[in-house]
Amino acid sequence: MTLEEQIRSNRIRSGMLVLCFGLVFVGIGAAVQAIYGGSYLIIIAGIAFVYAIIAWFANGSMVASWTGAKLVTKEQYPELVRAVENASIAAGLEQPPQVRVVDDPCPNAFAAGGSPKSSYIAATTGLLGMMDKRELEAVIAHETGHIRNRDVRLMSLAAVLVGVVALVSDIALRIAFFGGGRRRGGGNPILMIIGIVMLVLAPIAAFGIQMSLSRRREYLADESSAEITGDPEGLALALWKLKQDKTELRHANRATAHLYIETPLNNANGVRGALSGLFDTHPALDARIESLEKMGGFQLSALVGQQQQPG
Amino acid sequence: MIVVYVIVAVVVLLAIWAVLIFNHLVRLGNEAKRGWSNIDVQLKRRADLIPNLVEAVKGYAAHEREVFEAVTAARTAMQQASGPAQAGEANKQATAAIGRLFAVSEAYPQLRASENFQKLQDELTDTEDKVAAARRYYNQTVYQYNSRLQSFPDLLIARLGGFNEREFFELDQPADAQAPSVEFPGGAGPK
Repeated sequence: MTLEEQIRSNRIRSGMLVLCFGLVFVGIGAAVQAIYGGSYLIIIAGIAFVYAIIAWFANGSMVASWTGAKLVTKEQYPELVRAVENASIAAGLEQPPQVRVVDDPCPNAFAAGGSPKSSYIAATTGLLGMMDKRELEAVIAHETGHIRNRDVRLMSLAAVLVGVVALVSDIALRIAFFGGGRRRGGGNPILMIIGIVMLVLAPIAAFGIQMSLSRRREYLADESSAEITGDPEGLALALWKLKQDKTELRHANRATAHLYIETPLNNANGVRGALSGLFDTHPALDARIESLEKMGGFQLSALVGQQQQPG
Repeated sequence: MIVVYVIVAVVVLLAIWAVLIFNHLVRLGNEAKRGWSNIDVQLKRRADLIPNLVEAVKGYAAHEREVFEAVTAARTAMQQASGPAQAGEANKQATAAIGRLFAVSEAYPQLRASENFQKLQDELTDTEDKVAAARRYYNQTVYQYNSRLQSFPDLLIARLGGFNEREFFELDQPADAQAPSVEFPGGAGPK
């Protein structure tokens, strides 16, 4: 797939995503109306429509406020800002994206926003503390790759739209179960059951969309990173370091998980741990390192050994 | 009558096809141009930093005239270079000369400790990184552009439209990578 095809497919998918979002809310509206009667369908669909428009234009700042990513200047973080500048020059972006920092000890990074001009790259303070210059550049190049491939709008939209579907159907379900007394008459039991089933299915469908978005995209962005820096080894080393780390991101949640370079939800246990392969938003780091090894014709184990001996 | 329609249709299709290819070539050419201006900006910045660096070092090592002259000559070459290939040569010359200047500065701990010098060193490292980044993008687009110009059928349109191949900038060669260490044994690069 060429870059142009990738860009086109991302644009189509962004449109489809918004459409699916609209359909899900028409479904939720229909479900609520089936349970309560009244004209909830039009109200909920209307609110969803307005929200989708806001999300299309402001998804970047919405994600920034959810994740706690704050704008920083070159004076504050010269090395990070330079890494972003260099990666954007090598990627051929018209102007470097904005730079944000998340104050969090867990090493991670993401890119969000709409068009390349309004996109930004965010890194956690943990990432800045852990990576050397070469590794940081590789991670930043991965995020720059997402921006160049036009992944960011689709991924940011998925974050702000999917998160809200889960939230709304959660609230609606809670009311359906515990707010029985306020129910208006004329509820048809069959319609009610269909309604509740739809409310349960909505977030699952939304997460399905979200997961299908990001896995292949991560491999592509890894490839872009290698192309931008000319250094697949650097990214492999960075991913290896991320793999060693077990801290969990404070602001991480299901809605924004797929944005990050590595899944921020590390403590997968219980049901989620058992089904982790099914619900992961990211391919396993080992698989990504392996594909980088193939690309660059090197062995990470040899590199890591080298690195540990002198230092 | 049908023959006329067919001929008209074929001509129209050919014209559309030619326009599409023409536009694609223009776009690739513009991308290469933008890539070059990225390099050019950094080369200018680098050339602007050199006098300050020379001044800074002169304050401590005024007798190293030969090195200063080499650096200044390299700077002049950078400013007079026309086209990517010449600019690349001049830039290599400048890299070597600046490397020597930094090697000289090794002998003056006071100079190395000065804030001004450290800032200049930092800025120069940054321009070098950025030149490298811009070079990767530029050479990639030039490669795409040139190979389109060389391949049939695009080359027909390219000839008619007066498209010319572009020069590469410091195309990486295995021999290049070895050159500096042979020239300057033990010399510290501007890092």
